[in-house]
Amino acid sequence: MASTTERQLDKTTATDLYRRMQVIRQCEEQLAKSHQRGLIHGACHTYVGEEAIASAVCAHLNADDVVFSTHRGHGHALAKGMPPRELVAELYGRETGCSQGRGGSMHLFKPEIGMMGTSGIVAPCILQACGGGYSFKILKTDQVAVAFFGDGAVNNGAFHEGLNMASIWNLPVLLVCENNQFATEVPFAYSSGIPDVGRRAANYGIPGHELDGNNVLKIYEVAGQAIERARRGEGATLIECKTYRTRAHAEGMGDFSYRTRDDVAEWKTRCPIQRLRDHLLQEGIVGADDLDAIEAEVRETIAEAHRFGEESAYPSAESVTRHVYCEQPAPPRSPILNQNPLATATDAREISYVEAGHEALSEEMRRNPHIFVMGEGIGKRGGNFNTTMGLYDLYGPERLCDTPICERGFVGLGGGAAMTGSRPVIDFMFADFIMDAVGELVNQIAKIQYMSSGRIKMPILLRGCIGIGHSAATHHSGNYYPLYAHFPGFRVVVPSTPFDAKGLMKRALNCDDPVMFLEHRELLQVKGTVPDEEYEIEFGKAVIAREGTAVTVVALARMIHESLAVAESLAGEGISVEVIDPRTVSPLDTDTVLQSVHKTGRLLIVDETFGPYSLGAEVAARVADDAFDDLDAPIRRLNGAFTPTPYSPTLEQAVVPTREAIREAIQTLVAE
Amino acid sequence: MAIEIVVPRLGWSMEEGIFGEWLKQPGEEVVPGDMLFVLEGEKAAQEVESFDGGVLSIPAGAPQPGDTVQVGQLLGYLLAADETPPAELPARPAAAATAEPAVAGPAVRQLARELNVDLGQVCGTGGGGRVSAADVRLAAEENEPAAAALSRDKSRGKAISPRARRVARELEIDWTEIVGTGRTGRIRESDIRAAASQLSAPRGGQRGGGQRADHDRSNRISPLRKTIAQRMSAAAAETAAVTLHTEVDATNLVNLRGQFRAASDAQEGVPGYNDILVKLTALALGRHPDLQSQWREGALWVPGDVHIAIGIDTDQGLLAPVIRDVPARSLRQLAVETRRLAERARAGALTVDEMQGGTFTISNLGNYGVDAFTPIINLPQSAILGVGRIRQLPVVVGEQVLPRFVVSLSLTFDHRVHDGGPAARFLHTLREFIEQPGPWLID
Repeated sequence: MASTTERQLDKTTATDLYRRMQVIRQCEEQLAKSHQRGLIHGACHTYVGEEAIASAVCAHLNADDVVFSTHRGHGHALAKGMPPRELVAELYGRETGCSQGRGGSMHLFKPEIGMMGTSGIVAPCILQACGGGYSFKILKTDQVAVAFFGDGAVNNGAFHEGLNMASIWNLPVLLVCENNQFATEVPFAYSSGIPDVGRRAANYGIPGHELDGNNVLKIYEVAGQAIERARRGEGATLIECKTYRTRAHAEGMGDFSYRTRDDVAEWKTRCPIQRLRDHLLQEGIVGADDLDAIEAEVRETIAEAHRFGEESAYPSAESVTRHVYCEQPAPPRSPILNQNPLATATDAREISYVEAGHEALSEEMRRNPHIFVMGEGIGKRGGNFNTTMGLYDLYGPERLCDTPICERGFVGLGGGAAMTGSRPVIDFMFADFIMDAVGELVNQIAKIQYMSSGRIKMPILLRGCIGIGHSAATHHSGNYYPLYAHFPGFRVVVPSTPFDAKGLMKRALNCDDPVMFLEHRELLQVKGTVPDEEYEIEFGKAVIAREGTAVTVVALARMIHESLAVAESLAGEGISVEVIDPRTVSPLDTDTVLQSVHKTGRLLIVDETFGPYSLGAEVAARVADDAFDDLDAPIRRLNGAFTPTPYSPTLEQAVVPTREAIREAIQTLVAE
Repeated sequence: MAIEIVVPRLGWSMEEGIFGEWLKQPGEEVVPGDMLFVLEGEKAAQEVESFDGGVLSIPAGAPQPGDTVQVGQLLGYLLAADETPPAELPARPAAAATAEPAVAGPAVRQLARELNVDLGQVCGTGGGGRVSAADVRLAAEENEPAAAALSRDKSRGKAISPRARRVARELEIDWTEIVGTGRTGRIRESDIRAAASQLSAPRGGQRGGGQRADHDRSNRISPLRKTIAQRMSAAAAETAAVTLHTEVDATNLVNLRGQFRAASDAQEGVPGYNDILVKLTALALGRHPDLQSQWREGALWVPGDVHIAIGIDTDQGLLAPVIRDVPARSLRQLAVETRRLAERARAGALTVDEMQGGTFTISNLGNYGVDAFTPIINLPQSAILGVGRIRQLPVVVGEQVLPRFVVSLSLTFDHRVHDGGPAARFLHTLREFIEQPGPWLID
């Protein structure tokens, strides 16, 4: 270990690196001890043996550069500047912890210093760092995004999708693979067709390096060059650091079923901290007294961190649902208009459902330069459903960004972009397509605000088509809204009219929570009145689409139109039907439904998607709970058949509730 | 200071394991990084590393190889070279009390369903708060007077929608006489309204016996109420409680308090009667430490410190926060601490820690005009002192009848743990302190 760079190393840098590594090592040792003593309530993955990597990379980063990391993230957080006391308190489950007790070892957040989070899932950090890089292009800054991940992440699709996106969009990101040779207990030598990671970069057209991960000075040198390169706008770099964790995968786990004591003992002799110390003394760069003083000072810091953690209070149980959603929603930019004032107008402007959404998007993109759209064919082509027609010419390729077919990749990227200051709109064409990205949606996008105790916002709009019709068959017709509404963290919007599509889209583009905006494909060309003036519709406000007294029908999307047609015909038979459109599935406006049932005593839910665990199940359960004494008849549901969507018209027709079925259901219910 | 060696958690959800063996001998020097013992967790036996150094000390009564051990359980100590081991293995900390659903057997649950009784609302009288069949029958009778039961019999087999039932109640219609027009003969709202319109006159005053009068209430049982109910039932069921009453001359106590009041300005707190009694009780417990003994897993454990729980009446229910290390606190400090705990109790802000670890309890109902009562032991403690109001009575002193202040003390103790003699001697000491309080309050 004697390159030119090392000899020229100045004392300030040397002591800084030594201090960072000491902080990590001593903090990890305290945490291992605390785990044994029961102070740590869940998992604890230590970074002992790998300290050189985080220290060397983070030494080049500014506070506004961002780091995304993985389950073995204590070292990254500390090297990025997190005070040890906040890390320790978090693992002790205290309210003073960096995630206020909502995260623990694997979910560490401190956005104030660019520590954008660690994740219990191995590869999403790569995509999120790409999102950070994309944000910095949109925001036109020279910030850099870094992803730290293990060898366990590189045989995962996110690695492939992330490197490819980083390359084709020339993103200012640094991708650091800490190859410690075991993914939990599975050897890298077994899981990879080639023994090295760094050379894979060549396949994506970006530079790659394979380094000794225990040589802090070499990593410092190479990472410095890569980060400068990224700042200059020259794109991404992959750095593989070969290293070894000398403690078990997680504290309390057995270690010798997959590797030998001799291996571990041998790697302990390659301790990166001892190596730096020996080098500094040998070269006379820093004296032993100075290094000893650093160690002693760090020891006091860690002891204080432990005391602080132990003395800190646990978070109050009442706060458990805080930060699921943004606590201070953005005020509306346009006036709130929950009811269409032109509903019965005869000479008002009429536009289609898709035009209404387009109008909302173009108005907001004109106003907010941080909005960008990503999706397949949404650039010059203007979107498969004309959702972005003409916008490319106005705002160019960065804000109207065509993607490869890599839904997981660009959804994950969108999450990272939303976390770092831009406002992505992900246009996924068909809701079926983003099933590949459900991990990014459910595990990352929906949970980040909560895990970061509200300090990171997630202003992302994810839009695309749902719905059955015109023999689209089962990969182009799913509904999926009950799935997303099941998870805390999402707003789930399912408009049924052009008026609603525009107003809800405007709200969504002004909302700091992730919004699933699901547009029924069979409604895209439906026309309706839309005011000339700008407006927003609040989430969680149902609309009474038709007033009635004998029975309440709750329906959504296309089923609203079908139910209204049936209601019209039943009026002639003296049956007065009230039709309610919740418009947003999460939040769900049950008050309006309860008031209606109080009036009618009868409830039917008409829903195109499957019955089990669906919108109907939820509405029925809430009404049974809160309005039992209002019910004059059992609650009825009418759902799509419990089957994938078939292709042939005769089969397809048998899947969706028909007008005849709705009519019969209402008549039966009235007779109950 | 001896470093405790405890059972660590191996893996995600281990709560107990099997102790394998020591990898060091008692008296052997351990250095950080040494493997210290073998523990079998959920997956396999593992060697456990020591993060501390010292001489291994394994107390008598420590787990033996093959014993099942709990996570957090003490196994031994690491001592400095000249250090002596702690005297005995402290008892395992009791698990924090948690509110649990009602305990009842399947037959009792079946009965509860038949009688339409909510088990969660029933206070069990069996061991550990277990609900018995008799409890359920009693609850059913309380819920439903005979007339209502009769009316239900009549209605059995008749279907009525919830809405129709509600409207019938509002219109005071006896729906059991109505024929329903619903699809399966169900009585619907329209049937009730039709019946109501047929009645010529309103039918005031014909409420069924089962109807609740408007001013009756049925409050939901709060988690705190359930916890109190369980703890009280458990104490009543598990302890052999005996209460001793005595009347104590409190004249000097009243004078002393008067002096405190006169001497203090409005800003600083004046120690109250309760503060003085807490202090004197702690001193008396110092002389009779066995009164704090706790029955724990077949052994009697005597706490070394005196932590006194005080009963606080709050809107939510009775709470008993703990004043720690009472002997070490001055009377003024005690007053401050008592006030702080009382405020937190009333604000619902007490932490679990603030309510745990008491070694004796004082319940003072003097403010409510109560003279004497039989308090219930606050488990796992074995004794509790009830304090009544201080009142003036004519008392024979020598040859004269003089007005004196008198307070009643009621000591309930667990006869499993203590005999009457020691309890009476404690009460006697306390009486002496109260009758001549001054000398004991100087610290």
